[in-house]
Amino acid sequence: MTIGATAAGPRPGPGAGALIPILVIAVAFAVFCLVNLARTRQVRYLPKWGWAIIICLSMPWGGIVYLILGPVREAPSLAPGYPARPQPTAGAPRRFPRHRAGGADIEVSSLVKRYGEVTAVDGLSFSVRPGHVTGFLGPNGAGKTTTMRVILGLAAATSGSAVIGGRRYAEIARPLREVGSLLDAQAVHGSRTAWLHLLSIARSNGIGRDRVTEVLGLTGLDAVAGRRVGGFSLGMKQRLGIATALLGDPPVLMFDEPVNGLDPEGVRWIRELLRALAAEGRTVLVSSHLMSEMAMAADQLVIIGRGRLLADTTTERFVESNARRNVLVASPRAADLANLVTARGASVTPEDDGRFAVTGMDSPAIGDLAAEHGIAVHELVPRHASLEDAYLDLTSASTDYRAGGTAPDERISSTAPDGTARR
Amino acid sequence: MTTRQATGATALPEPPAWQRAADALAFEWTKLRSIRSNYWTLLIAAAASIGITLIVGHTVGATSAGPPPGPLDPLVVSFLGYAAYGVLPVTVLGVLAFTSEQSTGLIRTTFTAVPRRWTVLAAKAAVTGAAAVAAGEVLAFACFFLTQALLSGKHGVSLAHPGALGSVLGAGFLMPSCVLVGLGLGAIIRHTAGGIAAAVGVIYLIPLLCLSLPAPWRTDFGRFTLPFAAYQVVTLHLQAALFSPAVSLAVLIAWPAAILLIAGLLIARRDA
Repeated sequence: MTIGATAAGPRPGPGAGALIPILVIAVAFAVFCLVNLARTRQVRYLPKWGWAIIICLSMPWGGIVYLILGPVREAPSLAPGYPARPQPTAGAPRRFPRHRAGGADIEVSSLVKRYGEVTAVDGLSFSVRPGHVTGFLGPNGAGKTTTMRVILGLAAATSGSAVIGGRRYAEIARPLREVGSLLDAQAVHGSRTAWLHLLSIARSNGIGRDRVTEVLGLTGLDAVAGRRVGGFSLGMKQRLGIATALLGDPPVLMFDEPVNGLDPEGVRWIRELLRALAAEGRTVLVSSHLMSEMAMAADQLVIIGRGRLLADTTTERFVESNARRNVLVASPRAADLANLVTARGASVTPEDDGRFAVTGMDSPAIGDLAAEHGIAVHELVPRHASLEDAYLDLTSASTDYRAGGTAPDERISSTAPDGTARR
Repeated sequence: MTTRQATGATALPEPPAWQRAADALAFEWTKLRSIRSNYWTLLIAAAASIGITLIVGHTVGATSAGPPPGPLDPLVVSFLGYAAYGVLPVTVLGVLAFTSEQSTGLIRTTFTAVPRRWTVLAAKAAVTGAAAVAAGEVLAFACFFLTQALLSGKHGVSLAHPGALGSVLGAGFLMPSCVLVGLGLGAIIRHTAGGIAAAVGVIYLIPLLCLSLPAPWRTDFGRFTLPFAAYQVVTLHLQAALFSPAVSLAVLIAWPAAILLIAGLLIARRDA
C-alpha cells in the first residue's frame, strides 16, 4: 500500500482506452435505473423482450444483470391502450375457494395492556368462533384496536394471553395464510402501486402472483392495480387493505373499523363480504364503534368499554334484552289516562303536543284500559327504542370522550307527570 | 369445542428455515425496488460522485505538483467525490428504508407478515446492504477509472498497481457501511428527520469534531470514525497514527454492526 511516490514523475497510467469502460459503466447504470423507473410505474413502453434485446445490444452484461434482477412481469394488462381482461365488477363478492376447512377460535383471556399509567385493556376475556361474523364494539378509546394489536403480536400483553387456534400469532410460520388482518387502511406507502404493494406482502409469506391478481379482482381493484396508492381515495384504500387481508386465503380474519370512510355502496359491499366469509366457515372479527352497522352485519357481539367486557352475546339476544319498548299515546284526556296507566304500575313520559309515552304496558292493554274508562284515544303507536340507544346505555358509563349536554340515559328514562323521576 | 379445535388447528406444513429467510428477503427486495424515489436517489448519488470526481480529477490533473499537505495520492483523489457526496443520498435511503414504513404505519403490516422482528431487520439490512454494495462498487470503479484517465500521463495508476484493486474494492464498501448505519439509526429513532440527522452526525460530524481536537487525541479518537477508517482503506500513503487498512475495514464494519444490534434489541422489545 505504501508504494509509489507519485510526485516522482509520470507513471504509465491508462490512456484514453480507459474511458470506454467508464462510459459503459455509467450508461449501464443510468439505463438500469431508467428501466426500473419504468417498471415501478408499470408503464409498458416495450414488451420485456424488447427491453432485454436493447440492453443486450448496448452492453451484454447489462442485460445479464437485468435478467438476474428479475424480468419485467407486469400486473396483467394495466397500461391504457392494452386490452383489459374482462373482470367482474365490485358489486357482489365472489365465492372464495376454500383451500382448507374450518376457521380457528380466537381466544382472549384475562388480557391486560397498560401504557404507563393508562390501562387500555383491563382483564378482557372473550372468544370468537368460526362461522360467524363477530362484531367487536365499543366507543372510541375502549381498547378495541389495542386488543387486536395484541392478538396480532404487534403489542406485548402486560398480562394474560391472546391466541388463535391455540397458538400465539408470533408462533405461526406463515401468519398471513392463517390470519388476515386490516388494522389501518391508510398504512401504505403512497409511491408504491397497488400491485407491487400486494406483491411484496404476498412474497413475505410465499403467496403466488396469481393470488395477488385474484384478490385485486375480488376487491374490484384490478383496473387501478398499476396506479400508485398515494392517489387512492379512502374507500379504495379500504379495499386494498381488505385485499391484503385476503391474500393468504386465511381461515381467520380481523378487520378494524373496515367501514370507516366508505360510501353506502362500499358499506354494503363490506357487509356482504363479511357474511360471505363467515358463511364459508371462517372466523371473522370486525370492530366498529357503530352499533347500527354491526346490527346488520354481525350475529355475535363482543362489547367493551374502558378495556372491560360489557357484553358477549348474540345480536338477537342483545336486541331482546336491551332494546326497550314504549307506546306513544295521544288522547284528549291525556292527564286522566296517564294517571290510570301510572296506577297500573307503568311509567309515563310526557312528549310534544300533550302526548305521552308509556313504558311497561303494551298497546292492547292501554287501549283496553282507555275503553274501560270511556276515554277516547287518538293515537296508540308501539315504538322500539333503537339498538343504538341500548348500546349507548350500555357504554355510556365507560365512554372516555363524550360531548356535553344530554346524557344518553335521558332519552329513555321516564318521568311521571307529577315530576317524579322513575326508571 | 373439541371438534372445533380439531378442524381449526389444521396447521399448514411448516416451511423450512431457509424458505422463511428467502420469503423475508423477497419481501424486502420487492419493497425496495418498488419505490420510485430509490432510483432517483441512486441516480443522484451517481451524478454527484461522477460530477465531483470529474472536477477534482481535472483540477488535480491540471497541476503538475501534488496538493499542498502531502504527496499526491491518486487513489484518495479518485474517491473524494464518491465518499463525500455520493454516499450521503444513499445513506438517506437507508434511513428511509425503515422510517418510511414507521411513519406510514406500514411497519405493522410488515410485522404481521413477518412476526419475527430480527428476521425483518436482518432482511432489510441484507437487501439494502447488498444494493449498496452493488452501487458502491460500481461507483468506486467508475470514479477510479475516470480519475486515472484524467490524471493519465502525470500521476495516474492502473488497477494493476499494487494495492490499487484492494483500495477500490474497499472504497466500494464505504457505501453499505454508511447505508446500514442509516438503516439502524432509522430503526432506533423511528423518525425520518431525526434518523437523517443522527446518520449525518455519526458519519460526518463526529469526525469533524475529532479534527478540532488537540494533536494526539485527533487521531486517537479520529481513527475510530468512518471517514478516517475509509481514508486508511483507500490511501496509498498510510498515516502511521491511524489504524492499519485491515483494522480500518473492521471499523467500517463495526459501526453498522453495533448500531444494527442496538436497533434489533429495541425493535424486538417495542410495541409496533
